[in-house]
Amino acid sequence: MTRVIEVPTHFDDRSFDQFAAGFGAWPPEEKLLVDARAAQWASPYGLIGLLTAGQAIAEAKGERPLLTVPTSDEVRRYWARIGFFRHAAELFELHGRVPKAAASGPSDVLLDVTPVRAMEDVHQVVEKISESASRILHGELGLERNAAMRFSMALSESCQNIVEHAGTGGWVAVQVYTFRRRLGRRVAVIAVSDAGVGFRRSLESTHAKRFGERWGDGAALEAALIQGVSRFRDPGRGQGLAGIKGFLDRWKGKISIRSGTARLSIVPAWDDDLPLADHLAFFPGAQVQITIPAQEAESR
Amino acid sequence: MIETIRIGHLLRETASSPYRNLVTRPTGAAVRVRIEDALARSDCLTALLDFSGIELLDFSCAEEIVAKLLLAQALPQPRFVLLRGLRDDQHDAIAQVLTHHRLAVAALITGGEPMLLGWVSPDARDAFACLYRLGRGCAGDLADALGWPEPRASDALEALTRHRLVRPEGALRYPLLVA
Repeated sequence: MTRVIEVPTHFDDRSFDQFAAGFGAWPPEEKLLVDARAAQWASPYGLIGLLTAGQAIAEAKGERPLLTVPTSDEVRRYWARIGFFRHAAELFELHGRVPKAAASGPSDVLLDVTPVRAMEDVHQVVEKISESASRILHGELGLERNAAMRFSMALSESCQNIVEHAGTGGWVAVQVYTFRRRLGRRVAVIAVSDAGVGFRRSLESTHAKRFGERWGDGAALEAALIQGVSRFRDPGRGQGLAGIKGFLDRWKGKISIRSGTARLSIVPAWDDDLPLADHLAFFPGAQVQITIPAQEAESR
Repeated sequence: MIETIRIGHLLRETASSPYRNLVTRPTGAAVRVRIEDALARSDCLTALLDFSGIELLDFSCAEEIVAKLLLAQALPQPRFVLLRGLRDDQHDAIAQVLTHHRLAVAALITGGEPMLLGWVSPDARDAFACLYRLGRGCAGDLADALGWPEPRASDALEALTRHRLVRPEGALRYPLLVA
């Protein structure tokens, strides 16, 4: 028997829960068909979440899932341009015409879909993005020149969390796009996802007792993002997320972290997301999205 | 005597690569070990860490290099530590990690007065700036210059001395670069 999981038409951090619900129990026992034919748009968060699902199934020794590629030419080309199919081909049996990723002039893709497995990968990610980050964040989004450095710091710390806490590899992608639905402005988005143990299991041995019966995915996210705790005894740990929060506060940005069955967000005034969404469908590892909006003309 | 340590050189030697970004904890820890080795071979009382040429300094590296170096100052032969060649975003990263540990360090600014990064009281900040302008001073000198009661100036100087942000010589305190 094959379980069909539909990729939402508009696939982003919000519709991700619908995608996650399609899997049922983890790891899924049935053969999976991930149907992306109807996809019209996917954020970097959606695309690396899709790869994370394939990775988690592979690591659980599950049968290689099928993936039907989007019907839309334009969508297929974008997925190829951001490097999705290159990695998806290793995790899914692809069905449908996959375009070659053609190199073309200036792009809104700041960082292709990139695997993060070791600290060396973090160095390479930061090196790769440094030049374009300055051009886009200052030139296009109207942030101060040194915001590019802070953006790269946020990227570096997010990627390091995979290597230090996930217990397996993960993915990162960075893109600029117009956020029509909720903001009506250009945004720069960092998306990071891994198929690892998740925040709850990572923090359980050191922090669960303190939370008592409240302990769960939501409490673990709260401990990490709001209280800045870490699984390490070293008192200097946990400052990466604190630093990211400071950067987001300054630029009216948003961070959203989904792990297990919960999603915790620091929600700026321009967004209407829930600060904490609990009892969601389970999804392996952790998924992080950092959104930096273009600055309004009066604040420039 | 001041031992100047160029962090960019250490990074290139440590990573065996052309990277100019100080990112990840292992990189920071490796650079710190190099700094400690250099200080162990030096007789100088003051270490000047020069960050010129470094592009990005993330929080993990700020913690591993600067905070842990200062925390290690409780060891025998503690040094005075000064920073140079930092940009705004690097100031912020260092200030954050030091504040977390209730530590502070002085950073030299091109064409300006040194500034304190990290956690010190407002009085200690004022006293630090005043001492830099005076060139040296005791609690009485500071009290006169700032219009404070002497015990207040004494407390502020004591805090700066404890954080190794000024060099003591008898009752006098000196800014580090005048030492």
